[in-house]
Parts: sequence; C-alpha cells; structure tokens
Amino acid sequence: MSLRDYVDALDADATPGLSVEIDREKAVALAVFLIPGMTLFGIFSVGPIVYSAVGSFFSWDAFSMQQFTGLENWIRTFRDPLIINWENLRRWRFPMGALAQNLLWVVLHVPISTVLGLAMALLFADLRGRRILRSMVFLGFTVPTIVIGLVLLFIYDPQAGVFNELLRVIGMEHQVRNWTQSPQVAIYALIAGGIWVQTGFNMLLYSSALAAIDPSLIESAKIDGAGPYRRFRDIIWPLVRPVTAVVVIMGIIWVLRVFDIVYAAGGSAGGPNHAYSVLGIEVYRAAFEPPIDYGKAMVVALVQLVIVAPLAAYIARMG
Amino acid sequence: MGESTVRQQVMTSITMDGVSKYFDGGETVANYRLNLEVDDGEFLVILGPSGCGKTTALRLVAGLEEPSEGDIYFDDERVNRWSPSERNVAMVFQNYALYPHMSVRENIAYPLKVRGIPPDERDRRIEEVTELLHIEGQIGKRPAALSGGQRQRVALARAIVREPSVFLLDEPLSNLDAKLRQEMRSELKRLQDELGITTIYVTHNQEEAMSMADTVVVMNRGTIQQISPPEELYSRPRTEWVARFIGSPPMNLFEGERRNGSIAIGEAGTVDLESVAGVRGIDATSTSTSTSASASASLSDDLSLGVRPEDLFLSSERPTSGNALEGTVDTVEPLGEYTLVNVAVDDRLVKVKVGDADVTRGEEVWLTFDDEDAYLYDENGELVTQAPSPQPTEGR
Repeated sequence: MSLRDYVDALDADATPGLSVEIDREKAVALAVFLIPGMTLFGIFSVGPIVYSAVGSFFSWDAFSMQQFTGLENWIRTFRDPLIINWENLRRWRFPMGALAQNLLWVVLHVPISTVLGLAMALLFADLRGRRILRSMVFLGFTVPTIVIGLVLLFIYDPQAGVFNELLRVIGMEHQVRNWTQSPQVAIYALIAGGIWVQTGFNMLLYSSALAAIDPSLIESAKIDGAGPYRRFRDIIWPLVRPVTAVVVIMGIIWVLRVFDIVYAAGGSAGGPNHAYSVLGIEVYRAAFEPPIDYGKAMVVALVQLVIVAPLAAYIARMG
Repeated sequence: MGESTVRQQVMTSITMDGVSKYFDGGETVANYRLNLEVDDGEFLVILGPSGCGKTTALRLVAGLEEPSEGDIYFDDERVNRWSPSERNVAMVFQNYALYPHMSVRENIAYPLKVRGIPPDERDRRIEEVTELLHIEGQIGKRPAALSGGQRQRVALARAIVREPSVFLLDEPLSNLDAKLRQEMRSELKRLQDELGITTIYVTHNQEEAMSMADTVVVMNRGTIQQISPPEELYSRPRTEWVARFIGSPPMNLFEGERRNGSIAIGEAGTVDLESVAGVRGIDATSTSTSTSASASASLSDDLSLGVRPEDLFLSSERPTSGNALEGTVDTVEPLGEYTLVNVAVDDRLVKVKVGDADVTRGEEVWLTFDDEDAYLYDENGELVTQAPSPQPTEGR
C-alpha cells in the first residue's frame, strides 16, 4: 500500500471513526465520574428503598426476612389504631393515630409558619437593626431539633415553665398545666414549637426574595397610586410566589419527617397513650423497640416516602 | 389635603424654594438649596454628571423623598408631605420598572385600575395610548419578551395613560442603543409638545438636554450651576465648570494673569483685556466697579480665558493684529466631519476644531480668535459679566 492510499484511507474513515472514538471516550469519562456517586446513592438510598419496598410484602422474625405474605403488613398497619384511629378521629379525641396526627402537623404548622415567615420578612425589610432581629429569629433554625424539644419541655413545665408563668401573670391560672403531658392539647404545644423553628427559615427565604425585588418596582407602584396593601397584593406577593412554593413544600417535608421534637417531649411512645405520636416515632418503635415489627416499620416509612417524594421532585424540577 | 384641586388640573407649575436633601443624618448632601421654577407645560431638563444630585431632585418632586429643608410647591400648594399619587405625578424610571409578572396591557392598566377608573374607560385610554406609542401589537406580551425600545414605550404609555399633571423622566433613554436613543428623543419631544404636560427630564447626556429642553438646569455636586435655555447655555456658560461641561469637545480655558490692561497666558502670549472685556460691556479699567458679586470680583488678578474649539483658528504665521496665542501642534485627529487639532499652549493641550488641517505634529502655530468668542472667568470660576449699567449687551 502506497503512502497515498494510506492517506486516502485515513480520510475515508476519518469522520465516522473519529465520532465513535469521541463517544466512547465520553462514555468512559462519564462512567468514571458517575460511578462513585451512583454507588453511594445506590447503597444508601435506592438500596434501602427497594429493600423496604420488597420487605414490606414479607413476614419478619426480628431482622430476618421470612416468607412472602402479600399485603398482610400493609393491611395490618392501616388497621392499626396507632397509625389511624378512626374511632377517635371521628370524635376528635387524641390519640387519633400517628398518620392523622402527622397530617394535623402539616395542616397547622405549614400555613402558620409560612405566613409568619413572610410577615417577619416584610416587617424586617426596612427596619433599623433588622440584621440582629433576623439573626435572632433564624437562630431557632440552627439549634438541633432535639434541643428544641428539650427547650419546649422547659417552657411548658408546670412549675418552672415560662409559658405557665405567663398564664399566671395574665390571670389565666386555671389554664396552667403540664402542656406536653396533657393528651388533648400537647400536640398543639409541640406544633407551636415547630412553627417557631420553621418561621426563622421561612423568614430567611422570604427576606432574600424580597431583597431581590427591584426597589423601583415598588416606587413605581407608589407613583401609580397603590397604597401599602395594594403594593403587597399586586406587586410583592406575585413576585415572591415562587419562593412560597419552596417554603410550603420544604415545610411539608420537614413536618412529615418530624421526630426529635416529639421524641424529646414524649419519648418513643409519642406522649401519654401515643397522644402526639407521628410517623417517624412509629417507624422507630416498630423497628427498634420490642416487640420488633419490621414489616410495619417498612410500610410506615414507605408511606412517608410516598407523600414526600412527589413534593421533593417538584422542588428539584423548579430550578 | 386639597388633592382634588390638583387632580382636576391638567397642567401644573412646580416651584422648589431653597430645597436641600441630606442623607445619613446630614453627612451626605444630595441637594443643597435648590431654587427652581418650572412653568405649566414646560420641558425642563436637569443636566449633570452622575452623582450630582439630579435624580434626588427629581425624586423630591415626585414625592419619593421628602426635603430636609425648603419647600416644594405645585401651583400654589405646598406639597412637601404629599404622597406621589396625591401629587398626581407620573414617572419613567431609568430601568423602566415594568411589572414583570404583568402583561403590557396590565402594566399600562395598573395605574388606572388603582385609581378605580371603570373598565370601558380604561380600555379606551389604553387603546389611545398604545396607538400613540405604536405598541398595539405588544399588548399581550410580558415585559421580558420585549426589546429595550418597546419596554421604553410601554413605560411611557403607563405614565401617559393616567393623564398626570407632571411627567418625570429619569434618564429614560440611557439604556437604549445610540440609534434608538435618537429616535426616541425626537418622539419624546413630539409627545411632550402634543400633550403639553409639565415635564422634568433628568439626564447626563448634554445632547439630549440641548435638543429637547425648553430650559436646562445644570447641576454639579448637589447645587444648581445655571438655569437657562439651551442656546444660552452654550453661548453664555455662567461658570467655568459649565463651560467645561457643555460642548463637545468642551471649551478651552487658558489660565491667565492680569497685567496692565491685558491678560498674560504664560509664555504663549497676551490678550488685550480691554477689547475682550469691552465686547461684553465690562469696564476693564477699574477693579471694583459695582456691588454685584461677579462684577466686583471681575477684574481680579487671576483670570481664565475661555474659547470654544470651534471658535479658534490656526495660523502658521504670527498674525499682525487681533488675539493670538502661540503653541505647538501635538496631535491631529481627523474625524471626517471636522479635524481636531490638539495644540500645546503653555504646557496645556488646547483643542481646536478645524475643517481641514494642513499642520503636522511639532509645527509652531498661532491660535487666533475674535473678541466676542472669548469668555472671561474670575478666580471663583464665575463668568465675568458686565457691571450693571444702562447699556444693554447683546450677549454674543
């Protein structure tokens, strides 16, 4: 083969040959970069999820899988009054079951902490000393939630607690009680604590959203004749609405995973007679406290996941 | 608060009476003792470099800031504490400030909606104003989908649609490209002519100021330097600073010393003070002729002589008569329309605008100019004007 032929041959297959080459190189590079991450993700995220999804259809003896039992675990869990107590739910008496109580958290905690967060962000937007105030409010979010639970115990303590003292001062002595141990009100007391924590976080998100609004828009609205309420309704609110989606969803996710506050206040039972137990508490008890019911733990954990996953996916796609 | 009286009036005159604005507890002086009058339907331009306080002055008129001192009047009403909407002003911001979450239509409708104007009246007005500004086709779009020029028009439409009594524009053309800027300039001028709304327009661009204004207010460092019609700003810059600011390239200033009826410009030569001053009716023979501030200081020993680049002539031989200053050609910049020759005179560069230059670098030249093209500034930088005398002057 002459040199000429050789060069021609090179030319002939240059384009397709080269592109294949590049693709293969790219694929290898991609794999090299992906494998460590994907391995960890697989072992610690996908693995357990699949494992519990499969495991929820088997019977268990402590931590070892026995035989396939179909929907038995699922049916048993949903009939468990610790998860949903239909009877009490109808009469609105605690305990109503961990799922119902957890949803009550969502219904109260999320809207209230969202509104409070926005209100504080607006309040602090043009206030002197706003940085200090903002840090103070945000401080709640930086404290480990288990500590928040302990702090709540102190606040609600019947003798030494600040809250009861406050009630005595304003002359509502008959309301004084051990808030965290009174089955019918304890959950609200804990939700209040949760709101306190979350408000700081929400305020921070809203503050940055407000700071991102061009001040000339607000001034333009002033000149257009809009008063404070209309400026909020027509200009500020529409512009912070995307943040509201994040705030609400983050709140829902946070609340559905709530554990520490409840555990600190009521132990692994979730309060007297499980009066304020939540899903996380039920998973913990079923999995780690005798009598161990691994099947139930998996079902409850999956229920949590099923509620949270679509919300998380929504947030992840918003970017 | 008497807002109804203002609202019913289509036009408004504005008076600023000794208005000062301080920020940071008095540490920053944004405006200092502004005295200003804007007539009904007048197009007033506030011109100045960035940071001179022109935008603050506008915001004071708008009601977005309250004066620290002094009073603002709309017609005869003191409006210091009135909100922008009570003053019935409309403002176009530099960045247009269109509401990003509303369509063009909603943006224009917003001020009408807030003021409770019924929907059919709203529709009629929107149709009118969008036609006037040629944005009928954009009505359904969001601001983000518009070009800079279109956004500008929408911002104008939103301001006009309310039929405000005062129209405030804060550097409205600075975000547009050069060609569009020129187009919008003439369009704005036409619009203001047609609508006859009292307008205050803030800009740092002297071309805009000169071409659009009925009256130009030149500001520097928070104070007003000169208030005059555009032509006069060019022909009679009241201070050295204005002289240096107006014109492109701006006026040349020669630092000189008074010596026996003439001004010595360093080594470059002397200019006969009597003839230069005499054109303007200034008595050059005495040093304190009157009580007026500028006139009494007029013939101090340090004087500056100003001549515009277009009023200087180049000559390669020493002229036999008239004013002549000696210099060396430093650089020649042919710019097509004219040629700019930089001449070193007494160690300073002087710009000369000539039609056609047949000089080369290093050449010795004489700069000549007519008496009536020379301006004298005293040591305080004030234009030396004629002492108050019965004789009228023709300015230039």
